Amino acid sequence: MEGNSLRGFLEKLEQAGQLVHYTDEVMPEPDIRRIGRAAVDIAAGNTGPAVLLENIKGYKGKRVAINVLGTWANNAVMLGMDKDTPLKDQFFEFARRWAGGSDGELKWIKDAPCQEVKITKDINLYEILPLFRVNKYDAGFYFSKASVVTRDPEDPDNVDKQNVGMYRIQVQGPDTLGIQVLPFHDGGIHLRKAEEMGKALPVAVCLGVHPVISLMASAPLQYDQSEYKYAAAFMGAPQILTKTLTANLDIPAYTEIVLEGEFVPRERFVEGPFGEFPGSYSGSRRQFRIKLNTVTTRKNPIFENLYVGRPWTEHDTLIGLNTSATLYFQLRETMPEVKAVNAIYQHGLTIIVATDNRFGAYAKTVGMRLASTPHGTSYAKNIILVDGDVDPFNLVQVMWALSTRVRPQKDVIVIPNTPGMPLDPCSEPPGIGGKLIIDATTPAAPEISREVRMVDSIPEAEPYQKILVDLQKAAAR
Amino acid sequence: MKCVRCLTDNAAKVAEAPDGSKAWEVYTCNRCNFVWRSTEEPEVIDPEKRDPWFQLAGVEIESIPVFSPVPPLKK
Ligand SMILES: [Zn+2]
Repeated sequence: MEGNSLRGFLEKLEQAGQLVHYTDEVMPEPDIRRIGRAAVDIAAGNTGPAVLLENIKGYKGKRVAINVLGTWANNAVMLGMDKDTPLKDQFFEFARRWAGGSDGELKWIKDAPCQEVKITKDINLYEILPLFRVNKYDAGFYFSKASVVTRDPEDPDNVDKQNVGMYRIQVQGPDTLGIQVLPFHDGGIHLRKAEEMGKALPVAVCLGVHPVISLMASAPLQYDQSEYKYAAAFMGAPQILTKTLTANLDIPAYTEIVLEGEFVPRERFVEGPFGEFPGSYSGSRRQFRIKLNTVTTRKNPIFENLYVGRPWTEHDTLIGLNTSATLYFQLRETMPEVKAVNAIYQHGLTIIVATDNRFGAYAKTVGMRLASTPHGTSYAKNIILVDGDVDPFNLVQVMWALSTRVRPQKDVIVIPNTPGMPLDPCSEPPGIGGKLIIDATTPAAPEISREVRMVDSIPEAEPYQKILVDLQKAAAR
Repeated sequence: MKCVRCLTDNAAKVAEAPDGSKAWEVYTCNRCNFVWRSTEEPEVIDPEKRDPWFQLAGVEIESIPVFSPVPPLKK
């Protein structure tokens, strides 16, 4: 069942020509940061490879994987598609799988690969794992792609309320982690309940999992929806889990590295800054702490981490389509005219919606609906509406719509003083913002527009693309 | 030893390169939790060259904001 694992996915990437082995010696800093940055910068996040670093100074024999899901080509491989698949087609395949919901199958095994190696004393993460500083002014070495597993302390046998969430984690001591979990996160609810009871909440931190697990861990699922069941439905295959050694927690059986421990109850410790996804550093805050008691790994484990910072980065790719699909389904519940949603920019601070106009000025209502979805309330700052036949993932088409459809005096709305996203560097005070709605759709009756005839799009031209590309490939030989 | 960020005497060596190469050491501060490796760029590990914006010299730990307040105990 390597198909369920990071290793299985790396094999698929390798077959598609999307994995490279970096065997020259590198320094943990600043080289790994630079290589991660470069991998995602190739063709602006579209075609760069995942990188397996196999020769890190001081960490001989240990390996780092970076940019695993950094680019759209790698995302296409995850979706079982050709690596050249256009983003709009990836979005529809993603949405089809996403619609599978939370009824996927789970299976448990014993003696799982993730527990081939067990470390229960003298834990020193600085020596066990090839850690590195992601951005120059981060407070230390961070896990930027960890899946953190906790259970509801008031309902500890409930698998659906078990949470798998992605939170930033700083290694603050040999067996000590600092972690940012916010009160509205599902993990934050577990922590509040445990602290109200005065209890230490057991936790497992999983490093190196199949990208679909990372995808679900970073997705805003409902409190009682299982990320593992979602992942199983999405992949069309059961998720293979095992139990942690020290608590009743389920972890993916093929995880590369599992850190087991407990949250320190009712105390907070300095954490941050950390270079975040809007491309700015967060400040220092006092946050939760985890004390580890056990580390288990596969033999010769791969430490996977992601580069996050000034966009485009793997963080954007990882959350781009799940943010888009979530909003797409929420809008379509009452507005079937919505054709596609592109919310890949900065977790949806800027969103482009393709929609037909049911009647005059309808698109503006779509914009307001988007602004009042759970995610859109604090995100969805810049909302652009384009016609249903415009591809919102194709910025050439979006710019054309803006150029030829927007009447500034009628189609641009600014709503001041709304909820904002604290990590948005221009949210002032942090958490307060505004909304910008730009309606770049063609007016519909009873709205009156100027009489013009637009040039048709030519769908019949599309099959010729493949013919021409094949001819081009043949000509290059 | 002195922490390069909060400049108090709360830092200590916690690790050496595990392959025995002596390539570097890792230090942590148990007051502000800054962590660094001996081989990093001067702008990261030299207090004189670090961007003052990121320094915590003279900052009381209790004055650093908390995102998730400790809730009251429920009996
Ligand atoms: Zn310090």
